[in-house]
Amino acid sequence: MKLLARYNRVNLVTTIVVMLITGIIYYQAISLILTKQLDKDLAVEENEIFESVGLNHQLPQVFESNDQQITFTEAKRGSVTRHFINTVYRNKKDDDDRPRKHRHRHEEYESGRGLISSITVGTKYYQILIVESKVETEDLIQIIFAITAGLILLLLITLFVTNRLLLNRLWQPFYNLLKELRLFNVADSKDIPVVSTTIDEFEELNQAIISMSSRVKSDYKDLKTFTENASHELLTPIAVINSKLDTLIQTDNFSQQQSKLLNDLYSAVSRLTRLNQSLLLLVKIENRLLEGGQLINLRESVEEMLIQFEEIFQDKELKTSCELVDKELNASPYLVDVLLNNLLSNAIRHNHKGGEIRIKLTNEQLMIQNTGESDPLQNDQIFTRFHKSSGSEGSGLGLTISRQICENLGFTLQYNFEDGYHSFIITF
Amino acid sequence: MKILIVEDEKGLRESIEEYFMEAGNICETASSYPEAISKVNLYRYDCILLDITLPGGSGIDILKTIKENNHADGVLIISAKNSLDDRLQGLDLGADDYLVKPFHLSELKARVSAIIRRKTFNGSNLLQFNELAIDLLAKTVKANNQPIKLTRKEYALLLYFIANKGKVVSKNAIAEHLWGDGIDMANNFDFIYSHIKNLRKKMIEAGSNDYIQASYGMGYKFTDE
Repeated sequence: MKLLARYNRVNLVTTIVVMLITGIIYYQAISLILTKQLDKDLAVEENEIFESVGLNHQLPQVFESNDQQITFTEAKRGSVTRHFINTVYRNKKDDDDRPRKHRHRHEEYESGRGLISSITVGTKYYQILIVESKVETEDLIQIIFAITAGLILLLLITLFVTNRLLLNRLWQPFYNLLKELRLFNVADSKDIPVVSTTIDEFEELNQAIISMSSRVKSDYKDLKTFTENASHELLTPIAVINSKLDTLIQTDNFSQQQSKLLNDLYSAVSRLTRLNQSLLLLVKIENRLLEGGQLINLRESVEEMLIQFEEIFQDKELKTSCELVDKELNASPYLVDVLLNNLLSNAIRHNHKGGEIRIKLTNEQLMIQNTGESDPLQNDQIFTRFHKSSGSEGSGLGLTISRQICENLGFTLQYNFEDGYHSFIITF
Repeated sequence: MKILIVEDEKGLRESIEEYFMEAGNICETASSYPEAISKVNLYRYDCILLDITLPGGSGIDILKTIKENNHADGVLIISAKNSLDDRLQGLDLGADDYLVKPFHLSELKARVSAIIRRKTFNGSNLLQFNELAIDLLAKTVKANNQPIKLTRKEYALLLYFIANKGKVVSKNAIAEHLWGDGIDMANNFDFIYSHIKNLRKKMIEAGSNDYIQASYGMGYKFTDE
């Protein structure tokens, strides 16, 4: 849920609840005041009756007046206590002035307020019931209520709209930051820019992100420098081992066992060398230190590479078929060389004797297909560092380097498996 | 030939010295910048093997000194820095070649031989080895004036062998020389065997002696002994 939606929801719900509560209190207060007013009117009427009786010593004549009815009933002496009641006012007239909903043919019931009191006229004891219609007060309350409700609605709409507009604008720096964070790449040299905002929180967030990203980057750089330095430092001892081996084989007379051991040593050192070079290369590619671009005809590069590998194709009895078009690229020739070399080496290494390699270069993509294992490789794993199929003598970095090169050049490198062919596809 | 080895790593320096030490060769060594600079200023060499990172200074400065004084010494940079910039800087400054550590001694020898050949034969492009005559410009080979038709790789192989004559050259070194170190066919050097077989066959057919000997399954030795 978006913050804005959440905020709006909470805001609306609380506003409505508060408004409802205040509305109820408001209603109660007004109706209490109006009822008090009615009660006062009733008391005045009662007083008038008392005065009239005191003057005339008889019950006053009762007029059916607007909204007021007075009835006298004989009652047992002392049985009536004076009190106010909520009652029903029977309006016998069909008065067109009244609002429509109150009209009920000839007789109509309205809510009313009554006062029950007593009076003694001569020897007789009467109960007095004065009823007054509450219609007027209720109308008043309704109007007040309608105005209040209207106000609430207006308030809600204003709140909603301003929230939406204001919050969208207020949060804009946040969304900008979010976009920058999404684009953040630890290997990239681009820093997160300062987002212009006057809001302290966003400014703090921005500062925090900037300092975090620069910290991450410097850590990452340290790590890469470490890898580079470590690989560099390893080069010299490897060079010493290599040269000592070269010197050792000059001394004559080896037994078969010794020469086997030496061969194993040679291949181990050569693997170590390649591993080391691959690591250095990877660091350089990731650091984009090998950017020097020039126009390359990929077709020529592929053809040269095929000539380079010719003897190995023959040795493994591999059948090659090519479909190449002229395709120009602006890239570092060295990187393209490494890329093609890696992919072709893989296609050879993981092939079986008498297998097939198919190379197809179009304007959109370069596809290198090879026969080999009958099962597909695990797409998500083959590009990770040091992932190797069992028995592979490679460094485990070839595809990582290849993918990194493709990334640097703005290409994509994908793998798929179809009809027994493993395909690596570079899409330009 | 006279060679100066400027390398601070003792193990490597000694190996190189030992490998180059043969009849007719004089090898001198320097293990630091001051030592190297004094030797460079005093003596002339056919080829100087120059490490870049040295105690007391940079090999690049030694190279600059040589070039500023217009010395004709061949310079081969051996460095652990395999960066394109370093390589270009070295070659721009007048180094004859650039070799990245780690390398095979046979590769180093072949490169040094090529530099010295270029420096000393001046115009003459003929390399003679007993009855074998190699025209380096035309890239043709004759045995007793009988032409031997070699493929590009067989020709490179022959030159490599001659540069390392009398030495056992490992199969790894041959593979890397012919196919570059990008080639990653660990333990599978069978394809080298067929190349060597073809080269031997062609040479013998043309009337040359069989100089190539297999050496304990580790490599090959080109020798007239």
